[in-house]
Amino acid sequence: MFSDILFLSASALIIGSCVLMMWTKNLMHSCIYLLGVLIGVAGLYLTLGADFVAATQVMVYVGGVVILMLFAIMLTGGKDFQSKTQKILGLLPLMGSKYTFMWGTATAMVFGFCQIYFFRHLFTSLELNETTSNQYAPTVEKLGELLITDHVVAFEISSVLLLGALVGAAIIARPRKERPAFLEPVDDHHHDDHEEDHH
Amino acid sequence: MENTIAGYFLEFEPLQYLVQNSSAFFGFDTTALIGFLIFFIFGIVFLGFLATVGGFGTIAERKISADLQARIGPNRVGPYGAFQLIADGIKMLSKEDIMPRSADKFLYYLAPFLSLFGVVCTIAVIPFSGDFIMADLNVGVFYALAISSIVGVGIFLGGYASNSKWSLLGGMRGAAQIISYEIPVTLCIMMIVVLAGGISFGTIIDQQAGMPWNWYIFHNPFTFIGFFIFFISNLAETNRAPFDLPEAESELVSGYHTEYTGIRFGLFALAEYIEIFVVNGIAVSLFLGGYHLPFDFLEGTIPGNLLQFGTFFIKTCVLYYVVIWIRWTFPRLRVDHLMSLCWKYLTPIAIFNLVGVAIWMVCFDGQSMFDLLFSGSSHSGGGH
Repeated sequence: MFSDILFLSASALIIGSCVLMMWTKNLMHSCIYLLGVLIGVAGLYLTLGADFVAATQVMVYVGGVVILMLFAIMLTGGKDFQSKTQKILGLLPLMGSKYTFMWGTATAMVFGFCQIYFFRHLFTSLELNETTSNQYAPTVEKLGELLITDHVVAFEISSVLLLGALVGAAIIARPRKERPAFLEPVDDHHHDDHEEDHH
Repeated sequence: MENTIAGYFLEFEPLQYLVQNSSAFFGFDTTALIGFLIFFIFGIVFLGFLATVGGFGTIAERKISADLQARIGPNRVGPYGAFQLIADGIKMLSKEDIMPRSADKFLYYLAPFLSLFGVVCTIAVIPFSGDFIMADLNVGVFYALAISSIVGVGIFLGGYASNSKWSLLGGMRGAAQIISYEIPVTLCIMMIVVLAGGISFGTIIDQQAGMPWNWYIFHNPFTFIGFFIFFISNLAETNRAPFDLPEAESELVSGYHTEYTGIRFGLFALAEYIEIFVVNGIAVSLFLGGYHLPFDFLEGTIPGNLLQFGTFFIKTCVLYYVVIWIRWTFPRLRVDHLMSLCWKYLTPIAIFNLVGVAIWMVCFDGQSMFDLLFSGSSHSGGGH
């Protein structure tokens, strides 16, 4: 019963925030509704007994991605964005013109039908109570073991990828000099930072 | 099954009697319902407790700052001005609620609540005592880290929605600072996780039971350094001096809450003071032995739990005092120095500590410094 309540409230949060997110014309508000969606998804993970994944969801998406998106929207002037469309279509959440609306609808319908077609056997054999009422065993230890045994290659590759992203970010963000370092004369001594401080 | 406060109280006779009778009355097993009610009641109790702590935090700040500056401080309301927080609360509630005309109304109203929400959600895992913990989650420490990152969203939105240049600068600084300093904090926690072999607060605290030299801060030199890095980073994460750039009075008027008045400003302030208590509580649990007394006295009973709770509270309050003491002692950092302190000093040292602890665990088989010095019999390699 309790997990049903949790499931229903998480689903309501997700669907409600999703509708509001698509409906609002202010990008900043849209991003805040996205926050609600992401927290709701974390709730769904909890109903499945995946506590570590839920915490990671909040950590990565709420703590990192949403703040990054807020920064990006603010720095690109998202507040002034309003959809400039016709009178009737202006009422709809287009985020563009009627062409994007038509294409978006068509794409959504095609994807929807494909999903229903491919997963049709799930609807007949769906026994929600049996799948969700498993014992809520701790998942952290199992995840840790699997990461360093069966999936060690994937783990290492993704860690190298993240390290590469980190190094790349540091290279992009570093202060640029006038000329590349290898073109500088060999014998000069750089103490740029200290000199600037003394001036 | 995870250790929760509802599970603890459901073991008592009267509650089991209640569960049996109500099950017979309603016709279904009411254990979950009664457990939910216990959670509800204790949620409110802990919330009230933390709100009171946050309120007294403001008093403590003013009294201690007055003490450090050889003044008297607030002394009119109640004995030694202790009831000043009630007067402040009534003043804030009765103030006019002003919103700038060009502010983003929705976000402006939402921001203080997001800020408080992030802090209050951490109540669920704070280990007040062995059994007075809402839920000893398997991912406890990780959960606390994750959910408290919502505070950054609240601060940023407060700055953005006010549509004022000081607020905006303060909010941006706040968000950047909170994101940056999460890295050394997480690395320091990783270090403890490596030592303890688990990320629930119960696992971590139980291994520090006993005398103070069992605490993780004295486990090895790396954790000793790690505690101070954790403490400094927590100062920055809670926007306390010398890292209070988001609300720097001398340049940004009041930072991200410049435009807020009345109880909305009060919620921001309350969130800040509660967050200091929460992060200090986490520091106590991770490094300073948590709620454990040096001896097992009345373990598992309610008086024993209250005693453990007192231990936890006193340790946390000592750190709280240090936080306030630092604020009124050190000058504020410049914003680029702040970032270089995080990225060029704290983060590399934290990574070095993490690797050091991992090597220590391999070389000395997880024994602490005092084990190695005083056990005598063990001479397990290394040492040079």
